[in-house]
Amino acid sequence: MFLQQLINGLTLGSVYALIALGYTMVYGILQLINFAHGEIYMIGAYMAIIVLGVLTATGLTATSLPLSILLVFVISGLFCGAYGLTMERVAYRPLRHAHRLSPLISAIGMSIFLQNYVMLSQGAVDKVFPHIIPSTGIEISGASISYLQVLILATSFILMTALHLFIKKTRLGKAMRATSQDSRMASLVGINVNNVIAVTFVIGSILAAAAGVMVAMYYGSVNFFIGYSAGIKAFTAAVLGGIGNILGAMLGGLLLGLVEGLGASYISSEYKDVFAFIILILVLIFRPAGLLGERVGEKV
Amino acid sequence: MKKIKIAFLLFIIHFSLFTVLTGCAKKEDTIKIGVAGPMTGDQAKMGNDLKNGVELAVSEWNEKGGVLGKKIELFVEDDQHDPKLAVAVANKLSNSNVAGVIGHWNSSASIPASEVYRDRGSIPMITPASTNPQLTDRGFENVFRVCGRDDQQGKIAAEFVAKILKTKKVAIVHDKTTYGQGLADEFKKALGDAAEVVYYGVVIQGDKDFRAVLTSIKNKKPELIYFGGIYPEAGLLVKQAKELGIKAPFMSGDGTIDKEFIKIAGRDSADGTYLTFSPDPSNIPTAKTFLDKYHAKYGEHGPYSIYAYDAANLLLTGMSKAGTAEGKRLSETLHSLVYEGALGTIQFDQNGDVLKAPYIVWITKDGEFKEYWKPEE
Repeated sequence: MFLQQLINGLTLGSVYALIALGYTMVYGILQLINFAHGEIYMIGAYMAIIVLGVLTATGLTATSLPLSILLVFVISGLFCGAYGLTMERVAYRPLRHAHRLSPLISAIGMSIFLQNYVMLSQGAVDKVFPHIIPSTGIEISGASISYLQVLILATSFILMTALHLFIKKTRLGKAMRATSQDSRMASLVGINVNNVIAVTFVIGSILAAAAGVMVAMYYGSVNFFIGYSAGIKAFTAAVLGGIGNILGAMLGGLLLGLVEGLGASYISSEYKDVFAFIILILVLIFRPAGLLGERVGEKV
Repeated sequence: MKKIKIAFLLFIIHFSLFTVLTGCAKKEDTIKIGVAGPMTGDQAKMGNDLKNGVELAVSEWNEKGGVLGKKIELFVEDDQHDPKLAVAVANKLSNSNVAGVIGHWNSSASIPASEVYRDRGSIPMITPASTNPQLTDRGFENVFRVCGRDDQQGKIAAEFVAKILKTKKVAIVHDKTTYGQGLADEFKKALGDAAEVVYYGVVIQGDKDFRAVLTSIKNKKPELIYFGGIYPEAGLLVKQAKELGIKAPFMSGDGTIDKEFIKIAGRDSADGTYLTFSPDPSNIPTAKTFLDKYHAKYGEHGPYSIYAYDAANLLLTGMSKAGTAEGKRLSETLHSLVYEGALGTIQFDQNGDVLKAPYIVWITKDGEFKEYWKPEE
């Protein structure tokens, strides 16, 4: 039973971690909390259902399930990347040099806009993900791990490793790190800061899209409101790990998922969300910068 | 100073003109009927079934010339199955001077809303679907329901589990709403010592991941899982239970008996789920005309479409019998009315409950709901 709860919690946590990465990357560079990030995840989940519907109509899901799932990830990621890019252009870039609160308000506006846009265009009723993935799985000492859980854990692990390597090893990753340390200095040494910011938004959105696709498959139903609660949880995860710190977001997400899963099963399922936020409060009291966050002076 | 005075004068003129003009535009020549239920959100299907049923009844009355010599106008409001919003909706409908309300759908919405309707001039409300006993047990003269009660429903479910399935270990889960918790507790009470309750827990309405609760249930090895709640959660519970390898069958109540449940759970997982509900209306001769008309206009009927249709017809029949749309007199008339509707004869007792409320057990098989077991009379 413990193993089962551990796997349930880790699955949930890896989804939180993927979304949290988008929050933390944007915060690292712009010191902006992108409240509309949860909506990108929600759009990713909707895209999964739409793309899969189209693929089923063309008969691809019947011939090759793995290929169609891969296509769902790619297409959903492309669309959400485009959404992220547009969002940055429309809602944040014009406010780059405005007061810190202005882009924050703009982010909240963007979130409300996207939620209602999806509600009006897709309907207020829950959308159901077609049952095409076998619900069976692997049995390990009493715990059953479904193929979906394996898929979610593996995909999250691959994406997070890829992101880590991208930031540490590539030129663009180096530029991102430089921009996050000091954007003015970065632009003086020839880094196109606007491009770096745009890339950050696109990467964050692609990760959120992947999370959305996996959640649509895992839970089986999606509505226009899921971005809100997932966004709050992922934001909590980002703060828990130390906002602005990429490894911290991964750790925070996994920890949050575990606490929720184990708390719900061993103490009480009613207080599932309470445990998650108690951990947050405790961490903020004893380590205000988050688990892996470093205490830095106010940037001038 | 002078400028301010002129501006103030202009404002007064403008304001009074506005009021007079809108006063002229409003002509009180319709009978207004309110419809309230979850029109958006995860339970929107239910709200729309309810709305369609009422709409069909009202359009039939309007074709025949309306009621009390006036046309009937519908005011549809969305309570999103939220008790707070239900009170706001009830106040809004009362402000629009509705003569009666068909709704709400959820017990947790109907109970607080009914107090508003009573305080605002005993506006009769007929709910097609709220089954919690507390709704009518408070003895409000303006509250009626055309469906059964959860103490009746829970008893039938318990009898079925104890006598037919002969289950010895049961897990009970509910969604913490008035309806869900009420039904689960009635089931538990009626079950008594017939079976051991090995797990009693809750899920949160609107949540999508129930694996933590289900894993705890799996560990207790029950032979049946009873769920007090509505189809969005029921569907996910059944789906996720199968994924975790739980073999015990599910059982639930009238809030789950909708095609959406099978869609969410998936055909294979939904198979073998027991549900308590009233008998199939397609077997009632009087329901035939309703079902044909409904299918032609809105497509397949939901479990409560026919109840909404009968509730609206009852209200309008009561109005034409009473000769008035005034709340108190209308409520009195409704109490004494014997109405022959699509569901058969409907008659209210002094609390506003129907005299006859037969519940039977249904089973989900091959993606369809089928009648399964009838209790002995």
